Amino acid sequence: MRGGFQLVHAKPSRSATALLSWFLFVLGIGLYVNAAQKRHQENAEDRVVPTIPHMLHSTYDAAFKPAEDDESTIGDNANLPQRFLASMLWKDTKASARRFLYSLLLLIPAVFLGLHMGLFPYVGLFFSRFVLFFDKIIALSLLPILFIAFGIDELSKIMLIVIGVTPTIILDTFNLTRSVPQEQVVKAFTLGAGDFDVAYRVILRQIAPRVLNSIRLNLKAVMLFLFAGEMIASTDGLAYRIALLRRHMGMDVIIPYVLWVALLLFLVDVAMRLINRKLHPWFREA
Amino acid sequence: MAMIQFENVSVNYGAPSHPVLSNIDLKIEEGEFVCLLGQTGCGKSTLLRLVLGSERPVAGRVLIAGIEHNQPDPTCGYVPQKYSLFPDKTVMGNITFGPEVSEFNLFTRLTPRYFRQRREFRQQAMQYIRRIGLQDADARKYPDQLSGGMQQRVAIAQALVNRPRILLLDEAFSALDPGTRRDMQVLIRQLWRGTGVTLLFVTHNTHEAVQMGTRVIVLARETPNHGSRVAMDLAIPSSCPADEVSRLAARLDSAAGSTREPEEFTSGIGDSGAHDLAAARNLLPNEI
Repeated sequence: MRGGFQLVHAKPSRSATALLSWFLFVLGIGLYVNAAQKRHQENAEDRVVPTIPHMLHSTYDAAFKPAEDDESTIGDNANLPQRFLASMLWKDTKASARRFLYSLLLLIPAVFLGLHMGLFPYVGLFFSRFVLFFDKIIALSLLPILFIAFGIDELSKIMLIVIGVTPTIILDTFNLTRSVPQEQVVKAFTLGAGDFDVAYRVILRQIAPRVLNSIRLNLKAVMLFLFAGEMIASTDGLAYRIALLRRHMGMDVIIPYVLWVALLLFLVDVAMRLINRKLHPWFREA
Repeated sequence: MAMIQFENVSVNYGAPSHPVLSNIDLKIEEGEFVCLLGQTGCGKSTLLRLVLGSERPVAGRVLIAGIEHNQPDPTCGYVPQKYSLFPDKTVMGNITFGPEVSEFNLFTRLTPRYFRQRREFRQQAMQYIRRIGLQDADARKYPDQLSGGMQQRVAIAQALVNRPRILLLDEAFSALDPGTRRDMQVLIRQLWRGTGVTLLFVTHNTHEAVQMGTRVIVLARETPNHGSRVAMDLAIPSSCPADEVSRLAARLDSAAGSTREPEEFTSGIGDSGAHDLAAARNLLPNEI
């Protein structure tokens, strides 16, 4: 028999948990500051690795100074929230968020399609092979076709997200529906339920927290397709701004923008977790 | 007319050379408490699913009150061993589910009549909750907050609230500890006597079958390549002393091959269990 300490059963203390979980953040910031200092010692005009004060200054400009086309509407004595609402960062965030929300709304029919495919054999037979094939198409390869078919307006960008993410959501919902024990379906029928009671009052309610989780885990994919669309053809949005600033080597704004997007996604993720827990108190994640 | 009738029923799984049930001919009268015994894989649950209508025979037919039965409906209440409750609904939600979906569809559930009626459903459910031995506070609990025994009690109440003509229990107690199992046996006997429902109870436990049922049917295969047939069909006398129970159980064991369960399970219906059950057998009808 082998003795000794088993790493698998280690129980980190509170301080160890805090130290370990923040260590890589601190290390990353430290390395960045060091690299920025070195480059600025060699070249004071370096734009590739801007210093932290430089980035903070640019972030302030992006977040609290009016966007170019908004200078007329905001006075000099406007307060901070008013200035934020007239800023470039807010306008870009609003534009991207609108597209993001439209895309999320368009995922709802995908959930219903997956549910019906999983529950009703004829619907499943009708759609499953097609959706499986569609899932294998690389959405970004459709981008030129989408621009030709839908123009370079909002629709093509939203369609890109929908085409990129909906097959995954449909197939996830389909599999979740199929994983509900048959006993539950039979039981519901013995209690007098009809087909649609079983679909919406038994299956949908049981899979809803897992579907929400699936959507939550696909948020990054949604953002990926959104950014691809905005970078190629857009006049506003977070990715448009990043692509625009790339031409001017505007790393002092690009890095805060990237961190802002990550923060927003993180907040959406946290909000969805909380909503899921609130809506489905019975659900315990495995 | 028999409540349940199997007419020369055969069921195959997969290849036709692997039959599960062969030429089953059975009649079960209204109000009988029938226990189905047999070794694992002999087709007990398949027989139950045929009654339920979730399984169709390759030959023969299954009649419920003289009418062919092809799909699950409220004629039969069903309590499986696992997944017997909807995990997303509270105890109250699980019990009121049947009455609600029976009377209201997705659209009529938006009418004021539904909200008025819902109060009645809840009152009725609360009566059931008390009768199965749960507290009022348990009504707000989700299934995973209940013990296995409590879950099965709720599942039985859920199945009975719609007043089905037949109640099917598929190894509903097999995951329970001996004490809880004994309580459940008593409860089922009481509910059966109180409601007069025709009860089909699948179990591995010969003692349990003899002590609970009015009739025990044993399914067994003659050879591994044949489907199961009825190997024994035994009426159990209403008054059955402990030594008679053991004698009948031994006969049933030999008919089914060895269906005896490990000692820890059978001990659940040992001397004291037999006593409780004997009392439950003779209980006055308890309207529920």
